[in-house]
Amino acid sequence: MLEVSNIDTFYGKIQALWGVSLKIDEAEIVALVGANGAGKTTLLNTISGLLHPVSGTVEFLDKRIDGLKSHAIVELGISHIPQGRKLFPDMSVRENLEMGAYAKRVWKHRQETLDKVYEIFPILKERQGQLARTLSGGEQQMVAMGRGLMSRPRLCIIDEPSSGLAPLLVDEIFRIIQGLRDQGIGIFLIEQNVQQTLEIADRAYVLENGRVTLAGESKKLLQEELIRKAYLGL
Amino acid sequence: MIVTILDVVIAGLLMGGIYALVAVGLSLQYGVARVLNVAHGEFIMLGAFITWSLYTMAGINPLVSLIICGPTVFIIGFVLYRAVFTRLRTSSASPAAFEGNSMLACFGLLFIIQNVAILIWGADIKGYTFLAFPVNFWGAVFAANRLVTLVFALVIGAVFYLFLARTRLGKGIRAAAQDPGTAGLVGVNINQVLALCFGFGALMAGLGGTLISMSYKIQPTMGLEYTIIALIVIVLGGLGSIPGSFIGGFILGLVGSIVTYIEPGLALVAYYVIFILLLLARPTGILGK
Repeated sequence: MLEVSNIDTFYGKIQALWGVSLKIDEAEIVALVGANGAGKTTLLNTISGLLHPVSGTVEFLDKRIDGLKSHAIVELGISHIPQGRKLFPDMSVRENLEMGAYAKRVWKHRQETLDKVYEIFPILKERQGQLARTLSGGEQQMVAMGRGLMSRPRLCIIDEPSSGLAPLLVDEIFRIIQGLRDQGIGIFLIEQNVQQTLEIADRAYVLENGRVTLAGESKKLLQEELIRKAYLGL
Repeated sequence: MIVTILDVVIAGLLMGGIYALVAVGLSLQYGVARVLNVAHGEFIMLGAFITWSLYTMAGINPLVSLIICGPTVFIIGFVLYRAVFTRLRTSSASPAAFEGNSMLACFGLLFIIQNVAILIWGADIKGYTFLAFPVNFWGAVFAANRLVTLVFALVIGAVFYLFLARTRLGKGIRAAAQDPGTAGLVGVNINQVLALCFGFGALMAGLGGTLISMSYKIQPTMGLEYTIIALIVIVLGGLGSIPGSFIGGFILGLVGSIVTYIEPGLALVAYYVIFILLLLARPTGILGK
C-alpha cells in the first residue's frame, strides 16, 4: 500500500535520511525502532508531506505522493498522529475530533465516524464538551488517536503514542492499535517502548543515523543479538 | 448634566463599534496569518474612498457599497497574501523572522496604497451627507448614520463569530490559529486558509471604511490612526477573540468620548496611556488567558 523507495531528506541543511526504503501493507503493524535523533520523525514527516525528499519516491496506492502537501495526503487516506498529541488546546474534545474529519472526502460523514470513535474511546464521549487543554495525558492521547481515525485512514502513522503514559494506559493504547489492524488499517508505529512494540508488530525496521540498518519480522528481530543489546538492554 | 453623560456614553458606544470591527480584522491578520499589518488602516481608507466615489459620482447608496467594497477589498487582500506573504513565509527561516519581514513589507504597502490614493483622489479632506437626520436617545441627539454604523458593526461581528464557530472553514481557521502545523496534518490547506484570513481581515477593514465614511470626514492619510486604535483594541481584548475585540472597542470608544468631551486634542494620548498601563498590568488582554 505504501512504498518508500530510496529517499534522501534534508532537515534544514543537514541530511537526515539516507536512501531509506520501506513498505507497509494493509492490515499489518510495522514498527520503526531507533534512538533519538536517528531520523524517525523526519521519516514520518516525509511520508505525511510536512517535508519533501530531495531524491527517491514515496508511493501510496500506486500514486506518487512525495511532492504533495500534507492536506492533500490526508485526502488520499494517510493519517499522521503526531508525537506529543498536538491537540488544538482551545477547542473542545468534540471539535478536536471533528477537525480530524476536515478532509472533504470524510467531512459529510463526520457524525457517523464520531459515533464509531466514541465506541472505541467511550471516555471521550463523556468529555466531549471539555477543552482539550484540561484533559489528562492519557485522555489527550486518546483524542489524538480518535482525531487521526476521523479521517477514515487506510494507513495510520502513530508517533510515540505511549510516551508519558502509565503502564496500564499503554496496554490499552496498544490493544486499540491491534484492533485497528484487525479492521484492515495499516499501522506504522514509532515507539521508544521497543519490547512491547515488537511484540504486537508484524514487521519492523531499525533506523540508525538516517539509514535502515535492519528489517524483518518482529518476532525474529526480538531474538537478534543487536536489538537485544541496543534497545532492550538484555 | 445627565443628558451630557448620556451624550458622552452613547457617542463612545457608537464609535466603539467601528473600533471593534477594524480590530477584529487586524486580529485575524495578526493572530492567524501572523502578519502585523501596519497598512490595515489603508484598507479602511480604500473602503471609505471607494464608497465616497460610488456615492458622489454614481449615486450608489453607501449601504449598497458595503456589498461592493467588501468583496473588492477582500480580493485585494487575498491576492496580496498569495503574491507576497506566502512567498515571504516560505523564504523566512522561522515564524519570528516571518513576522518581522512581513511587517516591513506592510510598511511598504502602507506608502504604496496611500500614494496611489492621493494620485486618484487627491490629498484633500472629503465627505458626504447620508442619513444625517437626528435621532433622539432619551434626550441625547445623534445622526442616524452613526446608529446605522453601530448596528452594522455588531451584525458583521456576530456573523463572523458564527462563521468561525460553526462552519468547516471557520473551524479550519481556528485550528490554524492554534497550531498551523497540526492543522495541516488533519487536512487544512494552510497557505489557502492564511490567505483567506488576510483577505477577511481586509474585508473587515473595507466594511469599516464604508461605515466610517457615512459619519466622518475622510482623507488618504486617515489610515494610521485607525491601525493604532485597532492595535490598542486587540491588546485590550486579547488577540484572536471577537467578543474581546468588541469589549475592547467599546472601552476605547468610551474613553475616547470622555476625553474628547474634556479636551478634544487628548484622545489619542489617552489611548496610549491605557495601552501602556494595560501592557504593564495584563499583557494578555482582558479576556486573554
